[in-house]
Amino acid sequence: MLCALAAIPILIAVAVRLSSSVPPGRGPAFLDRITQNGLFVGVTAMLVSVPLFLPLTVGVVAGDTVAGEAGLGTLRYLLVAPAGRVRLLLVKYAGAVAFAVAAPLVVALVGAGIGAALFPVGPVTLLSGDSIGAAEALQRLLLIAAYLAVSLMGLSAIGLFMSTLTDVPVGAMASTVVLSVVSQVLDALPQLEWLHPWLFSHYWLDFADLLRQPIAWESFLTNALLQGGYVAVFGALAYGRFVTKDVLS
Amino acid sequence: MTAAVPATELSIETTGLSKRFGHQLAVDGVDLAVPKGSVFGFLGPNGSGKTTTIRLMLGLAVPTGGSVRLLGEDMPRQLHGVLPRVGALVEGPAFYPFLSGAANLHRFDAADPHVPAATRKARVRSALERVGLTHAADKKVRAYSLGMKQRLGIANALLAPRDLLILDEPTNGLDPQGTREVRSLVRSLAADGATVFVSSHLLAEVEQICTHAAIMSAGRLVAQGTLEELRQGGQARIRVVTPDAGTAAEVLSRLGLSAATSPGGAAPGGGGVLYAPLPGAAGNGEAAPEAVVAALVAAGVRVRGFAIEQVSLEDRFVALTGEGFDVVQ
Amino acid sequence: MTRTWLRWMPAAVVPAVIAAGVLSGSLPASAGDPLPEKTPRQVLLMVAQHGEKSLSGTLEQTSQMGLPELPKAGAGSPETAWLELLTGPHTARVYLDGPEKARVQIMDRMAERNAVRNGDELWFYNSKDNTAAHAQLPADADGRHEARPGTATTPEELADKLLAKLDASTEVTVGTDVQVAGRSAYNLLLTPTSDATLVDSVAIAVDGETGLPLGVEVKARGQAEPAFSVAYTSLTLEAPDAAIFNFTPPPGATVEEIPVPDHKAAAALPPSDAAAAKAGKRPTVTGTGWASVLEFPAGAVALPGKAQGGAPDPATANPLRPGTSDPEGTRTVAAALLEQAAVAVPGGRLVSTSLVNVLILNDGRVLAGSVPLERLQAAATPR
Repeated sequence: MLCALAAIPILIAVAVRLSSSVPPGRGPAFLDRITQNGLFVGVTAMLVSVPLFLPLTVGVVAGDTVAGEAGLGTLRYLLVAPAGRVRLLLVKYAGAVAFAVAAPLVVALVGAGIGAALFPVGPVTLLSGDSIGAAEALQRLLLIAAYLAVSLMGLSAIGLFMSTLTDVPVGAMASTVVLSVVSQVLDALPQLEWLHPWLFSHYWLDFADLLRQPIAWESFLTNALLQGGYVAVFGALAYGRFVTKDVLS
Repeated sequence: MTAAVPATELSIETTGLSKRFGHQLAVDGVDLAVPKGSVFGFLGPNGSGKTTTIRLMLGLAVPTGGSVRLLGEDMPRQLHGVLPRVGALVEGPAFYPFLSGAANLHRFDAADPHVPAATRKARVRSALERVGLTHAADKKVRAYSLGMKQRLGIANALLAPRDLLILDEPTNGLDPQGTREVRSLVRSLAADGATVFVSSHLLAEVEQICTHAAIMSAGRLVAQGTLEELRQGGQARIRVVTPDAGTAAEVLSRLGLSAATSPGGAAPGGGGVLYAPLPGAAGNGEAAPEAVVAALVAAGVRVRGFAIEQVSLEDRFVALTGEGFDVVQ
Repeated sequence: MTRTWLRWMPAAVVPAVIAAGVLSGSLPASAGDPLPEKTPRQVLLMVAQHGEKSLSGTLEQTSQMGLPELPKAGAGSPETAWLELLTGPHTARVYLDGPEKARVQIMDRMAERNAVRNGDELWFYNSKDNTAAHAQLPADADGRHEARPGTATTPEELADKLLAKLDASTEVTVGTDVQVAGRSAYNLLLTPTSDATLVDSVAIAVDGETGLPLGVEVKARGQAEPAFSVAYTSLTLEAPDAAIFNFTPPPGATVEEIPVPDHKAAAALPPSDAAAAKAGKRPTVTGTGWASVLEFPAGAVALPGKAQGGAPDPATANPLRPGTSDPEGTRTVAAALLEQAAVAVPGGRLVSTSLVNVLILNDGRVLAGSVPLERLQAAATPR
């Protein structure tokens, strides 16, 4: 799955390399900057993966956590080992979180790597028009990856809860991914503006705030707080469900 | 039926254990008493609630009513203290198909925080050796046969020294050779002092390796005790083959024996088959079997055959469960 | 069974705790010490005398004008830029250090528009298409930092402008204290005495400590939500890092040099309207105070094709994209918006918002004002 994610920046870089020129202002943001600076491959790839690829892979991993074990039947053996239900749940969530951290990191680093290989690397122009050196740009890239990792915490917790509801991993995965899509659709409806700040996907694209000078940390903090809320709520739901669940698979 | 055994001597004790799924009562007021050191056969047709009872014992499911004590401790309250001393095979083996047999055991062993990680490798190796899977330890489980998976499941139950082994259908899917191996394995475990609780729908298996047994039917426990006690619970009977079934029945009832014609109908060579409780047993008249034959002959009944039949555990089982029974092997 | 319920407790408690936290957080932060009472005049004086010239803060602007929302990110043309600012919410960061140094960053999604003034240097930058514009202010441009093209109207500027207009047409009161950006503030309420205007009230939040205007809220008649509001969400009254005001255009950016027009002309009118002024096509004003109606003679507002018009407030027109190269092409978005927003009325077409009505007559004249349609029509009929 990480390999599939790694393919995204590679595809972008190769496509941009092969095409003659990208007119500015067309396509995803930053796409036109790639030819000038390879580091933007990482940023563009992350931007492209935020709406679907990252939630998709995280949904698959998080949805598989408990339901996957139940589906294989190994859940009962883990429980009689005895792994302890709370401990198992925590370990499983930690696994999902580890993936949520690794996924944007892979996209960012592979993107920066392939970008450096195919395009020149130099000072990076931020959204504010200021330029920073390549080393600091790499830092920002990692910061964005961290931002996205935090952004995916809530979805991971939702996936974990979904996973405790069913013994069919595909069901948990699908419902998690569908929820992320629904959240983004709701976020796009201006009629539901009151709801938007409460949607876990609301701040996903605000990682651009890390490309401003000075960095606008507000969205990072707000996002972290929101994701923390989702983790608390769905973590508690997953706990309630899993600890009282009859394991019959 | 059960000999009174002090509670501390029981490895498994359930009291009024019940589990309801929706409107269906899967387990209904089961009072099991598994003495320490016994090899306990848990018999019942498919769907009689055996596996659900085992799940309740192991804390996988929460009872709707009643309580479970494992090794003298309350379940599921003391789950973390008890389960490390219990090895289990529940409803067939289950593994990660993409991992090797040894890696699967490593993973399950790592799930138990109570066992030392340092000895993990050695314990996995000896468990695999004990079930004869050493040669396939590094093969992916995907490539295992059903019998090999079954052995690996048993190996998983043997990863640590256990005081109690709960094995659900341990010989399922094994060839006759494998079945024999499992039997000797169970005997050796019992010889080491562990209590072995084996569920099965195969009577022969239970008769061969168990000291005690219990019989489940439709969620209820219908009998339990030592094999001897169970066999005695059913009485021996006499079987009379005669063309004069009517007269014979009269004679038998005069002797205080309530006769019944066989549902099988006619015996070979014509005539009916009559069954009656064995005389001499409590409350069945005083006549000895040979006196019964004499009385029949004196009454002019043409006796073509007479026998005393010991009730087999199988008959007992059929009588108790009212169901057909899978008597392979 | 009680154990089961116990285990679901966290799932019930956590949302409750979060809800409680959110509710208590959204309540006014229990205004510790109420501000000493002041008359409107005293508050106005505070504003007039406030000396806070160094600050960094974040501004939130929202509009509920009844216009369709435009795509964000400063897309399209300079002509739509001001329209875009009137619709939908915006966030901008403001940095001020004395009158000579200022930077405004309008934070669009995945993009940013910047206006930087550092002494005589004036820079505009739009990250969307990586274009920059530069102007060298004449040396005598003294402390007029209001001349900074004002897309991001700071509360300070807006309040100053409104206060200057105060006259008999307005009732000025001080409402109950408000909390803005975590600071206690006086709430200066301006209520038009005339019924003829669409404006219901204007509320200016004035920092109780320094007199710095912290926010402006304009309410329209018959609308509960403010039609327009701009306020600080965070504010630090310290000089920002000097590096913030150092701007050099990024490599690869298209840089355009803006010739700075004669100082007096520039002060009177922004460049785009200078031509109209020269041709003697300046708007005439009828009515007074809140109910003023601006009338642009035919041709004063360029109307390509049939669908044209809109009378940009000179203060907000053409913010960060001076020197357009393709006026015809870039006007199409505005035209499309106009098509969408305008409704036919007797004698012409009307663009109606909750605060401003614009009447485009069939003869080409354009009338605009914070008044109902009838008054625009009345003003249109020759006396």
